[in-house]
Amino acid sequence: MDFHQLWTIFSTPDNVPIVLLLFVVPFYTWYGMRQAFANDRLIGQLEADPALAKTHHRKVEPWKPGWAKEVHVWPYLLRIEFLAAIIVTVILMVWSITLNAPLEEPANPTLTMNPAKAPWYFLGLQEMLVYFDPWMAGVVFPSLIIIGLMVIPYIDANPLGNGYYTYKQRKFSILTFLFGFIALWVSMIVIGTIIRGPGWMWFWPGVTWDHNRLIFEVNRDLPDLFGIKGMVGKLIFGAIVMGIYFVGAWIGMHKLITRTAFNKKIYTRMSLLQYSIMQVFLILMLLLPVKMLLRLVFRIKYVWITPWFNI
Amino acid sequence: MTDQEKDPVVHSSLSKPLFISSALLLLSLGWALYDEVYGTRPWKGYEARFAKVYSRFLKDTLPQEAASEQKIKASAEYKDLDRRAQAAEDAVKSQVAEIDRKVNLELVPRSLALNEPFQEVRGHVGALTYQIEISKSESGKESMRKEIEELKKEVHTVKLPTADGSTEKLPMDFATMDKALQDWKAEKAKLLQQRVDLMKPATELRAKQMKYLTDRISDVSEATLEGLRNKMATFEAGIRQIHVKDVDLVDRCESCHMGVQEPVTLTKAAMGGEEAFISHPDRELLKVHDPEKFGCTPCHGGNGVALTSVEKAHGYNEHWLWPLHAKENLEAGCQQCHTQEIVTEMAPTLDAGREIFRLRGCMACHRYEGFDRDPDELSGVNQDIRQKTQERAEMMREAGFSADKGDRTRNNDEAQKLYQHANDLKVRASLIDAKIEQDDDRARSLVREIKKVGPSLKEVRMKMHKEWLPEWLKDPHKWRPGTKMPTFRLDEGEIKAIAAFIWQSGVTGDLPHQPAGDPEKGKEAFETRGCMACHSMGEGGEKQGGTFAANLSRVGEKDNYDYLVRWVHNPRQRTLPYCPFEKKDVTAEDYQRAGLPFVFDTEHSKCPNDGHELLVMQMTPMPSLRLTEAEARDIASYLETRKHPDATYANADYLDDPSLKTHGQFLVRFYGCAGCHEISGLEEEQRIGTELTKEGSKPIERLDFALKGHQAEHDGWYTHKGFFEHKLENPAVYDQGKEKAKLDRLKMPNFNLSKPEIDQLATFLLGSVEPSIPSRYFYAPADQRRDIIEGWWVVRKYNCMGCHQVHVGQTTVFMTLPRYQDPDWKDQRPPTLIGEGARVNPQWLMGFLNNPSLTEKPDEMDRDGVRRYLHARMPTFYFSDGEIQKIVRFFAAMSSQASPYIADRLDPLSDQERTMARQLFSSEGAPCLKCHATGDPKHDSHATAPNFLLAKERLKPGWARRWMLDPAMMSPGTAMPSGLFRPEGDKMVFAGPTPASFNGYTKDHAQLLVRYMFQFTPEELTRLRASGAGN
Amino acid sequence: MTKLLITCGAAAALLLVSCGGSKEEAKKEETAAPAAAPAAAVDDANAATVTGKVSFTGAKPTPRTIDMSANPVCARAHTTAQRSEEAIVNDNGTLRYTFVWIKSGLPDKQWPVPATNVSLEQDGCMYKPHVIGVMAGQGIEIKNDDATNHNIHPLPKINQEWNESQPPKGDAKIKSFAREEVLIPVKCNVHPWMRAYIGVVSHPFFAVTGEDGTFTIKGLPPGTYTLEAVHEKYGTKDVQITVGAKESKTADFTMGG
Repeated sequence: MDFHQLWTIFSTPDNVPIVLLLFVVPFYTWYGMRQAFANDRLIGQLEADPALAKTHHRKVEPWKPGWAKEVHVWPYLLRIEFLAAIIVTVILMVWSITLNAPLEEPANPTLTMNPAKAPWYFLGLQEMLVYFDPWMAGVVFPSLIIIGLMVIPYIDANPLGNGYYTYKQRKFSILTFLFGFIALWVSMIVIGTIIRGPGWMWFWPGVTWDHNRLIFEVNRDLPDLFGIKGMVGKLIFGAIVMGIYFVGAWIGMHKLITRTAFNKKIYTRMSLLQYSIMQVFLILMLLLPVKMLLRLVFRIKYVWITPWFNI
Repeated sequence: MTDQEKDPVVHSSLSKPLFISSALLLLSLGWALYDEVYGTRPWKGYEARFAKVYSRFLKDTLPQEAASEQKIKASAEYKDLDRRAQAAEDAVKSQVAEIDRKVNLELVPRSLALNEPFQEVRGHVGALTYQIEISKSESGKESMRKEIEELKKEVHTVKLPTADGSTEKLPMDFATMDKALQDWKAEKAKLLQQRVDLMKPATELRAKQMKYLTDRISDVSEATLEGLRNKMATFEAGIRQIHVKDVDLVDRCESCHMGVQEPVTLTKAAMGGEEAFISHPDRELLKVHDPEKFGCTPCHGGNGVALTSVEKAHGYNEHWLWPLHAKENLEAGCQQCHTQEIVTEMAPTLDAGREIFRLRGCMACHRYEGFDRDPDELSGVNQDIRQKTQERAEMMREAGFSADKGDRTRNNDEAQKLYQHANDLKVRASLIDAKIEQDDDRARSLVREIKKVGPSLKEVRMKMHKEWLPEWLKDPHKWRPGTKMPTFRLDEGEIKAIAAFIWQSGVTGDLPHQPAGDPEKGKEAFETRGCMACHSMGEGGEKQGGTFAANLSRVGEKDNYDYLVRWVHNPRQRTLPYCPFEKKDVTAEDYQRAGLPFVFDTEHSKCPNDGHELLVMQMTPMPSLRLTEAEARDIASYLETRKHPDATYANADYLDDPSLKTHGQFLVRFYGCAGCHEISGLEEEQRIGTELTKEGSKPIERLDFALKGHQAEHDGWYTHKGFFEHKLENPAVYDQGKEKAKLDRLKMPNFNLSKPEIDQLATFLLGSVEPSIPSRYFYAPADQRRDIIEGWWVVRKYNCMGCHQVHVGQTTVFMTLPRYQDPDWKDQRPPTLIGEGARVNPQWLMGFLNNPSLTEKPDEMDRDGVRRYLHARMPTFYFSDGEIQKIVRFFAAMSSQASPYIADRLDPLSDQERTMARQLFSSEGAPCLKCHATGDPKHDSHATAPNFLLAKERLKPGWARRWMLDPAMMSPGTAMPSGLFRPEGDKMVFAGPTPASFNGYTKDHAQLLVRYMFQFTPEELTRLRASGAGN
Repeated sequence: MTKLLITCGAAAALLLVSCGGSKEEAKKEETAAPAAAPAAAVDDANAATVTGKVSFTGAKPTPRTIDMSANPVCARAHTTAQRSEEAIVNDNGTLRYTFVWIKSGLPDKQWPVPATNVSLEQDGCMYKPHVIGVMAGQGIEIKNDDATNHNIHPLPKINQEWNESQPPKGDAKIKSFAREEVLIPVKCNVHPWMRAYIGVVSHPFFAVTGEDGTFTIKGLPPGTYTLEAVHEKYGTKDVQITVGAKESKTADFTMGG
């Protein structure tokens, strides 16, 4: 266990945000969920007692009769915001005093650093490069992510949960988000920062980053496993496999989407276009973990090989 | 309603958290401010401390200085000067006072008073004149001219102060005013000049007085110290920085190292033990490298801009590429600008490093720009020849065409032009011929200039004892500690193979069998002829002599007597000449076929097969001492006695096993033996190592620490310095722990370098960097200094410094030899060459270098041309013409002599002068001929100075005179006594009793003797000796 | 066998000297006078005295004769052939011209430098005396009584080297050496055989053995000292010696080989 190595990784000014991430993300997730569950209980209460619903609007729980229905932004909200502002300022000040900008030597075109890492907020993308070819990981997926985020309002047919935390009214979207953000994005950033050493090799935390390290791994393309040669053959085979995946995933997703009665209601509110767009994005999103699994566990490089792109 | 039933949003108070966080905010604010003012500005502390200790230092030293100054002022001479100055001043006091009065009380005020009205009128006139110039109408001009006339005529009454303070009124018109002013001005000037003349003696005396004072104050004058004190009194903190605009270099080192440029010497002790405050230890260096022009970091490294921490300022933080040079590698900074030199004055460590790199054969495997000058130049010259020949051919063709055109053209003028053109081309071609000829000569001499680090292995069969080879290869350093030959990591098989190949590739030739010599005589000769200037003898403690060449303590165990005799007699003699064109050794058969006698030497150096320049000499710098056969035999037999009696060598008949040869050759090539040795079939081998010209700035990631990397980082030597030092200390270090096949391992052999040697070499390598400053800052002079740079290479190449002092403060090997400490032997040391350029006539020097025996008769070669009385002898180096030029220019430049040299004409001696000089020469008072050789063997046996007959050809008159006046000044400890002349008025006269004939002789005696010397003839010499002088 | 003889010889010599002591004493005083002169300068209430002699062991060397034929003037100055003074063994088997001085053990103080100059004459192309001792900074008066030019060329290792010519019967030179150095050889380049030795010492406690091979060091403050005898040919010998107040001790050396 090389603690020195560990320390160098964590103490790099560059990596401080990620270290923060490690603690902050779980905490706020938990915090948010806590509130959400609280609200859900209230919602339950209100649903159970219409009279109450008439007199009560504030979405806090436990609710005591006699409490003001509504409170003013000033002072009740602003003072808290002000407090938060002060604390953040303190944190930023201390941070800026203690950690200097990580300057390095003048760039030398004939000599790139190893490992060469993107800024922490891009490490997820860089990590994706391991599993997809640059065209996919570098261009297609990033744009898909953005587009996907943009379309959310248009495909979200669920009217509930505006302006308050709730879980049970938005299970599906919350889970999807948690999966997409924490399971995929954040974890990939963490991997890129802490796990990936020289030569972008996989070093478990606490393993020395040895520049001379050599590891033996052969990544094969899926077609080769089935002994399929030739451009066309591979193209077709890959297409078929992908097709199967798509269909499978589609069906699986559909099952998920229409599991509960509530979900079914939402589902019926969706137009076919909305639905299929959602499906496509979900399937593509699922592609990433699947591919990671294939690569890391089964050492499979590409599934679908075409002259234009590889998956 | 109970508290817990109260609405938390409304009723919970945030004052506590608000208070705490605000407190934190304030705290962090305070921290930020502190950090801004002090935290990131440690230099402020330094400045404060410096101000304190420095002012204290000044206070302490000032009284002492003052005291010493008072003492001087109290001294009689000073007082006397003071009194005389005073007297002189008094003498002229009255006149001066009068002048001052007249000037200050009359002329000046009067002129001032008069000036006003005068200016007024002149201004008016000027304005009108302008009006005239620009006005169009003639009539207008006329009127204005009149107006001017009137103005000038107009009479003003001016009030003028008189000497007695009253004022007088004078009516004056413009002209008179003008005249008056002019006169007064002139008078004033005249008076002031008078004043100066009057004061002259006094001022001169005062100047003398001042000088007397300054001459006697060692360090700094009271005035300077006073100034410094005031400076410190008004000291204010702030960043001190040097900004070199045109390089945009900013060095703020002096913000902490404030003492660096102070005029007083600040030691660590004086500055309260703070090393950071000492003044720069080498002022001389600062004089040539003015910090204002060069800054600090270009030489010292470090981060000149950084001020936030010592670590950063010194550039020891990660990612800074130019860290401060460590103490032991300080001179690395010189190398980046002084790239062309082998010797840089004031940089002994660096020089030593370069010398190791050159002498120990590093450059035989590692290319380093500028270090293998001769081969580079040779290829350059050859290329030039090819190019020029081609050019010439084209010109001639062109000329031909042009001529033809001329014949064919109709128009005469046209034809003329063409013919002219053709002729011009021919003329230019002829010039090219001249150039080519030059190049040919150069090429020829270059073939001679190229040397190898190690001995030629072509002659092993004739030279060596077979059994010795494997023993040697096993571990040269064990057999001969400190040898140049490094220890290779060879296994038994490799040694066998290599030895076998070397042995079998050797050439054979007939060696005359030599009768035995006298070891005793040989020993004497070896120790006195000069061998020990390069070679050392004796092992361990009693090791003596130079390190330039091998230690010969065990040479008897390895060499054949007959070969040794030949070698000692003339080391350059080859068994077979080598033809670089055919790439083979030319044999007697080749000569026969060409119907030529089998002779090859510097005169007969053409290849019989293809007429190319042959390599006719061994590629060794070892010169010929022009020994007689007999003496060579003596020395050889002495050397044969140098052996360990108990040394035994295993039988090595396998050396003749042909099956080993091919593998052996492969290995020899693989390990790059041919870099240092001349080996049959491998004459044209390339270098096997990496180039090191820019090694110092190679990215650290490119230096292969292999498995040592983590350890290095942990132990803090993950730096260039660390890499070099560990590599040099043990070249195989980076193979440790690696799984490698024998041939994949690191090849570099172990040179068993000592710690200081490692430091020197590391210094050199650390300095070998991609320069961080523009090339115009490099030391690449075009004037005489260029000759010095060039010359050093030759001087070093042949180890002139083993015998001679070449630059001031240098010790020769002879000075270190015990024998030469003895009073009698001190005079036997070879002469110093400091100021040689000023001493000898370059023409003569060329001849001497070419043939130091100064005789053409082969049987008389066994002597030194100038100093026959020396046991040590200037050897024949077989210099090439190029080298001779370089050396001569070098010495000329070293003593800043103009070249070409034109001897100044001495007026001939009158008969009377000749007799005078003659008498003086032979008088007991001036026993010149007692020490100076006369050519009479009996006398010369105890002579200790050259023959006067040489003077005319050899010396420069000016030098001769300076030498006679004070020889000890030029070479302290010389046998030539000082005080032979004493000044008398403006001439030098002989100190001893002079012959009667000198009475009434008004000219300079020294000059007379010089003229006599330079018109000295053999007849004169015999005449002198007849008269009894110097026998 | 030979060793036995030598020792016997030495013993005999000792006997000889010891009986003829007092007379020798008086004589030595003036021979060693110039050298030992400064010793008088130090008057310490309870000063001690060290006396002793340097006896010679081994075969008595025969000094080589000097050939002055090359320099008539020098040759003329002598009726008999001059001999080298390199190693002169007195008749009583003692060694002449040995420089004896306190090498270490003295209190660290400044000793007064005597104003008197020690003279070194060049007479008949020989230095007289052959060995002299001076204090650092003390003047050496160098005279040339010959009709020929000499040059005086000391070859010190520590002090500054110089080499000046002195015309025939020329005016005397006053020279001095700043630093302690034993012994400084002096030569004349014109007359290679000429040789003198100067012992420069930072204190007044030194002496040169004379014609009876004895020496006396006076005015010595009580203490323990290393006494060293230096001879141009036979090298150096040390002895430890402790003297009390007003005490006088003897310290003998044996040199040669």
